Amino acid sequence: MTMVWMVLVSLLTTAVASRADESAPQFNRDIRPILSDNCFACHGFDPKHRKGGLRLDVAEGAYGTGKSGEVAIKPGQLEASAVWKRITTEDADEAMPPRDSHKSLSAEQRETLRRWIQAGAPYQRHWAFETPVKAEPPATPELARLPNPIDRFLRARLAREGIGPSPEASREVLIRRVSFDLTGLPPTPDEVARYLADESPGAYERMVERFLHSPRYGEQMARHWLDVARYADTHGLHLDNERSMWPYRDWVVKAFNRNEPFDQFTVEQLAGDLLPEPTQDQLVATGFNRNNVTTSEGGSIDAEFVFRYAVDRTATAVQTWMGLTAGCAVCHDHKFDPLTLKEFYSLYAFFHSAADPAMDGNISLTPPILKLRTPEDDARLAEFDGRVAQSEARLKEAYRAVVYTDPATLASPPPPQDVETIWADDDIPAGWRISASSGSEPSFVTAGAVKPFSGSRALRRQDKGLAQDVIEAGPGPMILPQSARLVAHVYLDPADPPRAIMLQYRTGEWKHRAVWGDEDLIEWGRKGTTERSHQGPLPAAGVWVRLEVEAAALGLNAGDRVNGFALTQHGGTVFWDKVGVKGRVDVTTDPRRSYLAWIGQHEGKDVAAFPEEVRKVFKETTSGKRTAAQEEVLREHFLVRECADTRVVFDPLLSAVASWRKQRAEYDGAIPATLIWKDLDQRRESFVMERGAYDRPGDRVHAGVPAALPALVAQGTNAPTRLDFARWLVDPRHPLTARVTVNRFWQQFFGLGLVKTAGDFGSQGEPPRHPELLDWLAVTFRESGWDVRGLVRLLLNSDAYRQSSRVEPEVLAKDPDNRLLARGPRFRLDAEQLRDNALFVSGLMVDHVGGKGVKPYQPPNIWEPVGFVGSDTRDYRQDSGAALYRRSLYTFFKRTAPPPFMASFDAPNREQACMRRERSNTPLQALQLMNDVQHFEAARALAERMMIEGGATADDRFRFAYRTVLARLPQPVELEEVQRAFERHLIRYRGSPDDARRVVLAGASKPSTHLPAPELAAYTLVANLLLNLDETVTRN
Amino acid sequence: MNPLTEYQVQQTRRQFFGHAGVRLGGLALGWLSASGAMRSPRALAASSQGAVHPALPGFPHFPARAKSIIYLHMNGAPSQIDLWDYKPKLKEYFDKDLPDSVRMNQRLSTMTSGQTRFPVAPSRFRFAQHGQCGRWVSELLPHTAKIVDDIALVRSVHTNAINHDPACTFVMTGSEVPGKASIGSWIAYGLGSENSDLPAFVVFTPAFPSTGNGQALYHRLWGSGFLPGRCSGVALRGVGDPVLYLQNPDGVGAADRRVMLDALNRLNQRTYEAFGDPETQTRIAQYEMAFRMQASVPDLTDLSKESASTLSLYGPNVAKSGSFAHSAILARRLVERGVRAVQVLHRGWDQHDNLPTALKNQCEDTDQPTAALIQDLKQRGLLDSTLVVWGGEFGRTVYSQGRLTEENYGRDHHPRNFCMWLAGAGVRGGMVYGDTDDFSYNIVENPVHVNDLNATLLHCLGIDHQRFTYKFQGLDQRLTGVEPSRVVKEVLA
Repeated sequence: MTMVWMVLVSLLTTAVASRADESAPQFNRDIRPILSDNCFACHGFDPKHRKGGLRLDVAEGAYGTGKSGEVAIKPGQLEASAVWKRITTEDADEAMPPRDSHKSLSAEQRETLRRWIQAGAPYQRHWAFETPVKAEPPATPELARLPNPIDRFLRARLAREGIGPSPEASREVLIRRVSFDLTGLPPTPDEVARYLADESPGAYERMVERFLHSPRYGEQMARHWLDVARYADTHGLHLDNERSMWPYRDWVVKAFNRNEPFDQFTVEQLAGDLLPEPTQDQLVATGFNRNNVTTSEGGSIDAEFVFRYAVDRTATAVQTWMGLTAGCAVCHDHKFDPLTLKEFYSLYAFFHSAADPAMDGNISLTPPILKLRTPEDDARLAEFDGRVAQSEARLKEAYRAVVYTDPATLASPPPPQDVETIWADDDIPAGWRISASSGSEPSFVTAGAVKPFSGSRALRRQDKGLAQDVIEAGPGPMILPQSARLVAHVYLDPADPPRAIMLQYRTGEWKHRAVWGDEDLIEWGRKGTTERSHQGPLPAAGVWVRLEVEAAALGLNAGDRVNGFALTQHGGTVFWDKVGVKGRVDVTTDPRRSYLAWIGQHEGKDVAAFPEEVRKVFKETTSGKRTAAQEEVLREHFLVRECADTRVVFDPLLSAVASWRKQRAEYDGAIPATLIWKDLDQRRESFVMERGAYDRPGDRVHAGVPAALPALVAQGTNAPTRLDFARWLVDPRHPLTARVTVNRFWQQFFGLGLVKTAGDFGSQGEPPRHPELLDWLAVTFRESGWDVRGLVRLLLNSDAYRQSSRVEPEVLAKDPDNRLLARGPRFRLDAEQLRDNALFVSGLMVDHVGGKGVKPYQPPNIWEPVGFVGSDTRDYRQDSGAALYRRSLYTFFKRTAPPPFMASFDAPNREQACMRRERSNTPLQALQLMNDVQHFEAARALAERMMIEGGATADDRFRFAYRTVLARLPQPVELEEVQRAFERHLIRYRGSPDDARRVVLAGASKPSTHLPAPELAAYTLVANLLLNLDETVTRN
Repeated sequence: MNPLTEYQVQQTRRQFFGHAGVRLGGLALGWLSASGAMRSPRALAASSQGAVHPALPGFPHFPARAKSIIYLHMNGAPSQIDLWDYKPKLKEYFDKDLPDSVRMNQRLSTMTSGQTRFPVAPSRFRFAQHGQCGRWVSELLPHTAKIVDDIALVRSVHTNAINHDPACTFVMTGSEVPGKASIGSWIAYGLGSENSDLPAFVVFTPAFPSTGNGQALYHRLWGSGFLPGRCSGVALRGVGDPVLYLQNPDGVGAADRRVMLDALNRLNQRTYEAFGDPETQTRIAQYEMAFRMQASVPDLTDLSKESASTLSLYGPNVAKSGSFAHSAILARRLVERGVRAVQVLHRGWDQHDNLPTALKNQCEDTDQPTAALIQDLKQRGLLDSTLVVWGGEFGRTVYSQGRLTEENYGRDHHPRNFCMWLAGAGVRGGMVYGDTDDFSYNIVENPVHVNDLNATLLHCLGIDHQRFTYKFQGLDQRLTGVEPSRVVKEVLA
């Protein structure tokens, strides 16, 4: 392994800014962001793009003498520092940052730099690469009484800012906040009542505890992780076909519910396959890195996509666990963070040998996959196996009992006779398949204007262009007799005759065709050969005509096995009936009757249609030189499967075997399966890809980790594995994983992370607002055994979380994003929560955990106008019944056309890992919450609840609605407002009962019939109003 | 109530019930002012005060002619050889192998890389010279041929990707890998929009002829990627509500909605007073804009006041919702109302086989409405301030994919050169830029990379693509990426 890593920012901590002096700029907090944004692109870590040999990211670079002979930064000496001169000069040629960079420093930034240089220009290693240290929480007498260390850190900072914390929010607000945060749903009125009634100390903590152990906790927590994991139900590129990945989603729910320690959660997802004797769950977990988008677009170049998938998986793992934006280093050394091009590809080497193909095949289960068998499944499959074995034994038994004499060996064999075999008449034989190439489904019609030629039905097809019915044989092919003539009966509609008709036969391929009428119109096969043999003009229309073609004229010989035929036409209306073959049968030479004749036909040949062992014997042996065992192989095959005279004995037994096999296969096929990770047996060699181009491999690299981070110790003697990598991520010495993880959870509950750029802990990211708190949490989390539920409990039990969110204008002006947590967090519900809330409070929600994605209401034409014609997710087929009311976590997610309720409310499209959702506020959201049938039906259902459960008076019913939706009672003014609107709606709908009926019929569920429509309609509009309140759509 | 809060509440009430639109939390409360009526096209340009879609401070970077852009994306890759890149010498090469000296072993898509031969397929369509500029145009584009003096044809556009998904993603977002912001959302983000009753960026995905080979489209082609969600393109749909959920539910009228909204606003105002969260006020404004859109969108799509001569300009399908012609006239109506960016994504241009028939149908569907759009904008004086772009995601090969006859052939993907054109604001009409070899296989003069083209489009709108950045994943993201790219000033007036 190459050990010549870039020497990094080690040994840089020449001085650390004094804590006591808060006014002195700190390098990490105050200086690095300025330098990173304005200088590092040319004077940073990346040597290729470094200008003038100067680097300002490390002290020795900045303090050293540059090519120009100047010293960039002379600690404590402003005038001797070239940097200072350059950022203050008026001379445009000298000024830094240069004009063409479009960067400039503000006066404030210059002032900060000035103070820093004067204070000795102390450097710090980038904070995120230092191992976090668990500082003692501030313990001034005032703070020491706070039980939760989180509050001690936050309050100490608030005290410095001169801002006081907010009082605790009301209990109604708190329970709704906690309930949404831990279950994604509002509390029920009963849960609220229980909490309000509990006046003993610890009531809040007990309430939190109840929600922490709700089975919905896992669903809510999983939702956030699925954004990170870029989970979806389609492949994402090109056809964007369906992908069976939902068992992974269900695994995430389970993992949170059983509070799987986060280190285990990490290892299982990145390397579950490498654990000793991995469990089914551990393998399902490896689906994490099968969630990336894949393609099967025709024309794609495999190498390009193998490369892209590995890059995606590397970048996702690095961003998820290390909070670094590795994507930059795909093409060049990272300009801002210590990640070289070569180091990126060393990480990539961990993921480069995935066994999944470059092309996903447009199938839902692109290998490697895992079948999720339950013990019950095992039992059922064993039962099927038994049935298969039993039916095979019967077949064997019958074979032993059969008595056969080859007619060719008889002293006086029967004379030859003509025989006609029918392949299709009123129907096709059982087990065969008929389909249409295009247009309408195949249709057998009974006598109408045209009487069938034979029996009671004939096959009819009408088309303007090329069209056909294709019939494929079941288990036994049709074997052509001697002097075979292919037969079909046809009737052409005189009012609508075709321009050409064609009979086609398939042996291995479709290349035997007879055509009548225009011989150029149907272009298949080479004209004038057996591939397209012209038989003359179209037969007479208006009568049934028997078509007969010598099989030899189409290149077909006695004994050939026909396994399909097609009845083809160009335009017109055509009826077909009684299709088959006629031939002369001489039992002494007919390979379907005489064993010797059959042997003679195939000996020395390689017949692909036979099973391998039969094929082998024919290929390798000649008569008289076969062993008894070889002879027996042939004889058994002949009698059981080929001989016409034993069909009556063996066909039923064969079909029993086939039927059990089929049932087994169907059962097996219905067992859910999911994409998992496996490495190729033969690992790929990995190379630095020059400029990120898949076809420009440079130096060979080996799996390894960046030098700026702790060394990776491989378990074995060989090169480090993915498992080593995963364990390295959760090693106590790793400075990033715990920080990045606690920060993401903090973000989940407080709205913004302590590091706002949750996906970027590098120098371009924002430094933490409360670095000591972040580190304290990170270490505490790790020391707790990566106890996620424990961490969540810790966050929610803080005073900071429990504060009222009310904000005064002066605090808002000072801290608009609530970074100081002087108030409680208040933000709009997430996409899934908005929909789930409506379903829940209306009583429509169907609480079923897990399973394949469902397709609830969706306006027409979301998928269709964008979908590829051949895609299996082109047409949205809405589900019905319970599936309409499942939690949003279970909604089928098509990446190229996400569900509108997700897309409109800032859900990512899951094409890339997403560390933080935006929270927009748009008119399209307003339209959706007011008018989407899902929401309006929920309003109707809530209105029904108001009328049925809410009490006798309108006021009671409004109170019921407020309790149900907002977990509180309305104030008198609010009641008046609602009442006023209600009365106006009531007058209106009493005057327009038709409109009232239309209102109450919203959605697929039916309203109670005994409720008067005008009243229900008026309550529906009130419910619609309540479901659109700012307070309702906000988790306060 | 403490005095400060009292002051704040009063302020808010004044804003809320007053007539002046005042920016609050990035949005306006101008809902009581007249709305729904068509605004004079650029009347609001000067003032971002009260705008629902305000421009970023300092935008545009410099004065620009183009205020709006209409991007006609011909998805699937129209054949440059059969439409614009006239190559008379190809006749002599019919069914001869493409010389190795031309092909130079360049990368092929795996759909044809296995072909044993690369037989040259000259266009079977006639070309003639049109306009004062004497532009050679295929007979497939008889209407566009009439406006060649208004367009700048770029024959030397080239791209990185050889397959549709990455190439479309690249041409629209500047990256082959999903996750970046679309050009329309960049423009909406930077320049905002002049109309407060309609979205800033509107997208059409019209129907296409059944003979066309329709590739999939992706939300990401008009999505906002890392940019704020409000910048995302809003699809104006041909089926169902033109804007999702625009219609009130069955049995609910505008007056009912007004009653509900009045109560909602008052209750939300109380919430604002209780918690002081500016988002609450933004929400009030957004519900009002939603209400206005319920009037302004039907007004937009109502063609009854268009003159017969205008309608006939766009051809027989203009009244058919979801057609290209319908989308084209709506595009004009949108820019007329001050909407910033309009994108029409027309599918079906992927002619691997049966090119002559299918391409003809594609052109019949789009040629007349495209020309009509330019003429219509011009007649109304809007072409001076509207940039129109036409093009696909890559070109097509000179050699035939599959069987070649005089009448029939197909063409594979060709990223090395293709044609796009620009028209309108700031564009030098009647000019041609860039040239290719006799086989339309290699650029011989003035290459224009997709990033150069996008830099040029932004330039026309007054945006310096170098300075137009958004911080995401630790990088100053640009539409034009990190590699240097240039504004193709030569095509600008």
